Amino acid sequence: MSERTNRSNESEAAAIQEVQPAVESIRTELLARSSIPPQLTKEEHERRKTENEQVLKEQPHSLWYYSWRRLRRNRLAMAGMLITIFLVFVAIFAPELAPFDPNMQVLEYSTEPIGFQGNVLLSKSEVDTSLTVPIPIVEYRVQGDRVIYTTDEGRDHSIPISRLAGNSPTEWHKTPTYYLGTDRYGRDVLSRLMYGARVSLTVAFFAEMCSLLIGILIGSLAGFYRRWIDDGLMWFTNVVWSIPSLLLIIALSIALGLGLWQTVIAIGITEWVDMARIVRGQFFALRETEYVEATKALGLSNKRTIFRHILPNSLGPIIVIATAGFANAIIYEASLSFLGLGVQPPTSTWGQMIHDGYGFIAAGTNWGLTLFPAFAIMLAVFAFNLFGDGLRDAFDPKMKR
Amino acid sequence: MVSFVVRRLVYSVLVVFGVVTIVFFIMNLLPDPSRMMMGQRADIATQTAIRHELGLDLPPWQRYLRFVEHAATGDFGRSFTSNRPVLSSIWDRFGATATLAISSMILASIVGIGIGIVSAIKSYSLFDNASMLFALVGISVPSFVMGLLAMLVFGSWLDWLPVSGYMWEGGELHIEYLVLPMVVLAFRPVSIIARVTRSSMLEVMTSDYVRTAKAKGAPWKAIVFRHALRNALNPVVTTVSAWLAGLLVGVYFIEYIFNWPGIGLQAVDAITRSDFPIIQGTVIFSALIFVVVNFVVDIIYAWLDPRVKLG
Repeated sequence: MSERTNRSNESEAAAIQEVQPAVESIRTELLARSSIPPQLTKEEHERRKTENEQVLKEQPHSLWYYSWRRLRRNRLAMAGMLITIFLVFVAIFAPELAPFDPNMQVLEYSTEPIGFQGNVLLSKSEVDTSLTVPIPIVEYRVQGDRVIYTTDEGRDHSIPISRLAGNSPTEWHKTPTYYLGTDRYGRDVLSRLMYGARVSLTVAFFAEMCSLLIGILIGSLAGFYRRWIDDGLMWFTNVVWSIPSLLLIIALSIALGLGLWQTVIAIGITEWVDMARIVRGQFFALRETEYVEATKALGLSNKRTIFRHILPNSLGPIIVIATAGFANAIIYEASLSFLGLGVQPPTSTWGQMIHDGYGFIAAGTNWGLTLFPAFAIMLAVFAFNLFGDGLRDAFDPKMKR
Repeated sequence: MVSFVVRRLVYSVLVVFGVVTIVFFIMNLLPDPSRMMMGQRADIATQTAIRHELGLDLPPWQRYLRFVEHAATGDFGRSFTSNRPVLSSIWDRFGATATLAISSMILASIVGIGIGIVSAIKSYSLFDNASMLFALVGISVPSFVMGLLAMLVFGSWLDWLPVSGYMWEGGELHIEYLVLPMVVLAFRPVSIIARVTRSSMLEVMTSDYVRTAKAKGAPWKAIVFRHALRNALNPVVTTVSAWLAGLLVGVYFIEYIFNWPGIGLQAVDAITRSDFPIIQGTVIFSALIFVVVNFVVDIIYAWLDPRVKLG
């Protein structure tokens, strides 16, 4: 090279002169080939040219863009997503949406049917005047400063108006509708379902976050460092995998004490096995790719290679496993509360509602008490599985169903 | 092959050892069992005696060695409630669980593979879409919910089948008691087996050798059963064996709901009574069964399929 540049300008010009005709002929030849073929009109050619330029001008889209486009076309997956959004909405706004306080007991209205209409006077609580206590009545009449009301036993009682909550009859006399009936203690099933969604989704979300962290950590370490670290971690993964999940979760939640966060941790530290395996598999596959080898050539730190290069490229499978894990966590939470080992009463949970209603099943009565929470669980898990299936198809169209 | 078997065996023993260790740690987190055992007669002397008998007065590492030693000889202590040795009370109940699990898996395999094959052959047909949606529902329903629904519909409303009890009653066989729990238990595996069979069959049906078989004019039945199914069954067998192992150790809710006297029902009862020896015995026993089934499946695989790496 250096020799060449040191050559005099003259000799270089002479050399160019020499090859000029050949270059010229090649150029004309190429131009001729790329020129408008005779069957295309000028307009058509222009149209195609601008179209091609348009395509070239567009930024190449990310994996996310194409995945989202595929997902949006999948009607079932979108239905799953909408149901999930709906459930999250209900869970967040349960206090505003629920027609009743989920723990308000009206013992007289025990196990009432669907669409039952109550008829109550709201009185101030003797303990705390800011709370109201409903008194179920058949009818009432105002007599001076007292209200005379008839209970369903046919007896008349009276109460001073000052003891009722509110100033006018429309404020202290209510005929609320129990859309899904009431449970054994006269609590509104619909309101309890709405509040139950909070527990279910909260537990599932945080448990999944927990197992996501553990799974990614163990999977990355095993997949990146291999050798004895991989052997050791995979042995541990196999140990946890060999213990029946439900028993492990139960044992852990008894050991940790019963409650919301204990349930989260018990499920979270049991359910990371699939995640760890998938992440490890991804590391094994991605280590062989050029861009990961390039990070080695560039001398990047292991931390940077793992977090900036390998993990972001494994996000597809991770998200898919996480959605499946979320659905499973809902089932485990419901199972735990069904056994009375989850979030404790009076907080309402779906599993606990099923357990309370389960006694009626053998008799074949009050099936709503079991069916409604059962349906809620099914809906939540089904929606998530639909969404998860759609995600899998969207991230990896080859792996259909 | 021999070295492969030996290596798998050693690994399996290591896994069981790990399970025993984890169980020891979790059981140490639980409240002191001596209180549970004494019940109302709580005096210090009795407590000390019980603690000594259980080895709770020893330092943790000695307790751990003792625990591992006992576990290795199959001694998991005695049940707090019945005072029977844990292993024999688990073993007595295992027959009922195995009957339920195996019959359920036979049903699930036949139905699941059947649905999967038809779905794959007629892919994206009405049958395919309907059965795959049905499979997704099957995966989404927790077993206890399914059990309760079946109980409500077939037990209470239609009154076709008994909903509670074991099939051996006074030395006589009452097979109708098996039907509901078996079908309910089969639901999830059917869904998953159908999905796995379908996707595996779809993959195989587009392969070169199936195209060749079609091209040479082989009859339809021969293509599906001789060429495609044989090669598609590998992932299906994995799924079936995994589910069999899973069901053999974990039929808690179905046994509880249908009052089926297996190890699952015993474990749930033990949980409600805080009978820790039974719980820890069940965990270790289940893990052992799980590991044994997986070990056997691995060996059979290596034996059947020369492509499985023996490394």
